[in-house]
Amino acid sequence: MAAAMNCEEADDLLALDAVGALETADRAEMERHLSTCASGRHLAAEYAGVASLLPLALDPAPPPARLRRNLMAQVYGEATSKAPSPWWRRLVTAIPANRAITVVAAAALATAIVLAVWGVTGQRLVPAPISYVVSGGTSQQSVTGNLAVDAVTRQSILTVHGLAPLPRTEVYEVWLIPAHGPPKGVAFLAPSPSSGAWTAVVNGSLDGYTTIAATNEPIGGSPGPTGSQVLIGQLG
Amino acid sequence: MHLTDDDIVRSISAHSPEGIEALYDRYGGLAHTVALRILSDRGAAEDVVQESFLSVWRRGSTFQPGRGSLRSWICTIVRNRAIDRLRGDRHRTHLDTPIEGQSIEPAITDPWAAVALELSGEEVRKALADLPPEQRQTIELAYYGGYSQSEIATAMEVPLGTVKGRVRIALDKLRAALADRLETPWQPQ
Repeated sequence: MAAAMNCEEADDLLALDAVGALETADRAEMERHLSTCASGRHLAAEYAGVASLLPLALDPAPPPARLRRNLMAQVYGEATSKAPSPWWRRLVTAIPANRAITVVAAAALATAIVLAVWGVTGQRLVPAPISYVVSGGTSQQSVTGNLAVDAVTRQSILTVHGLAPLPRTEVYEVWLIPAHGPPKGVAFLAPSPSSGAWTAVVNGSLDGYTTIAATNEPIGGSPGPTGSQVLIGQLG
Repeated sequence: MHLTDDDIVRSISAHSPEGIEALYDRYGGLAHTVALRILSDRGAAEDVVQESFLSVWRRGSTFQPGRGSLRSWICTIVRNRAIDRLRGDRHRTHLDTPIEGQSIEPAITDPWAAVALELSGEEVRKALADLPPEQRQTIELAYYGGYSQSEIATAMEVPLGTVKGRVRIALDKLRAALADRLETPWQPQ
């Protein structure tokens, strides 16, 4: 195991971090050092404070009045609207009772068919992939696709058609939404140059999640959905 | 009525639009200046500033206790978004430091917050100008260009260790040049 970082080595990293130049590979080690070094934590605050003064050296460039106007219009507009629940919460609470029954019935039928085939052929039981339909969301209603779930590998493939191209500063982030609790970002959709489809691999079980959705987010993704909803699908 | 940064923090945390308005009125100009310095494009700078403040507005309820001043906090948000836009980097280095989820409790642990209120741009410019050119360029590549330590080393054709040393020495010199403004200089424990 590598020796713990000494303070002098850490000081270099603290300075890099303060100006935004610290690379990911060094961050964990720096944080480990800071967790046990009070003087390091003080120095980190000092360096961050000094770096935060850099913008003061710039010649002021006042923003145009329209920037404030547009920003406040959006802020006050959102504040004074009827404060609806986030779209993903409204979706979960609005799932018709018969939809859940339909999905359960479909799953039961699929299971019965598999068992019947197994019984006839004597083949070793291999669960067939389950497929869920996804459709366009509020902002891109013509989107279609499906989520193919492999219960053995616990891996799901989301394939989507009809998504609009994105600027380089945005991504389509995929969310799994539980019945209770916030959405969980699980993947980013990637475009296929040849087919025009977008795909994403979702690893892990879908147990406990009722909905899959995607939104456009700033590049790198977001802790929670902030952009417009481009697709949605029920998981039962 | 004069609002302190603490008042603005409380207002934002309470998801009050007046809090965002006060935040913008106090630091919107500086935020726009930073964004324009990085992007050199007025339209892009305006977009980044708007996105940044809207992000603060929408995530007000998720703030957690942390460190830093309100000014440095909003400047970091704007800087990070501007760097993203400038470099189009899929793997933002600052993803490891989710600044937009950090606390906006100002001035508690930032000894420079009060100093910044009194410093003039001229004083900071002078301190920067007094740095050796290679140290100043290193700082500028990092802070305004979004270059990582490795990228700076490549761009300036120096070893990685030289980059690390230059940044640390530059910040130490800036700290020393401006430290006499501190009422209670920080002493190591």
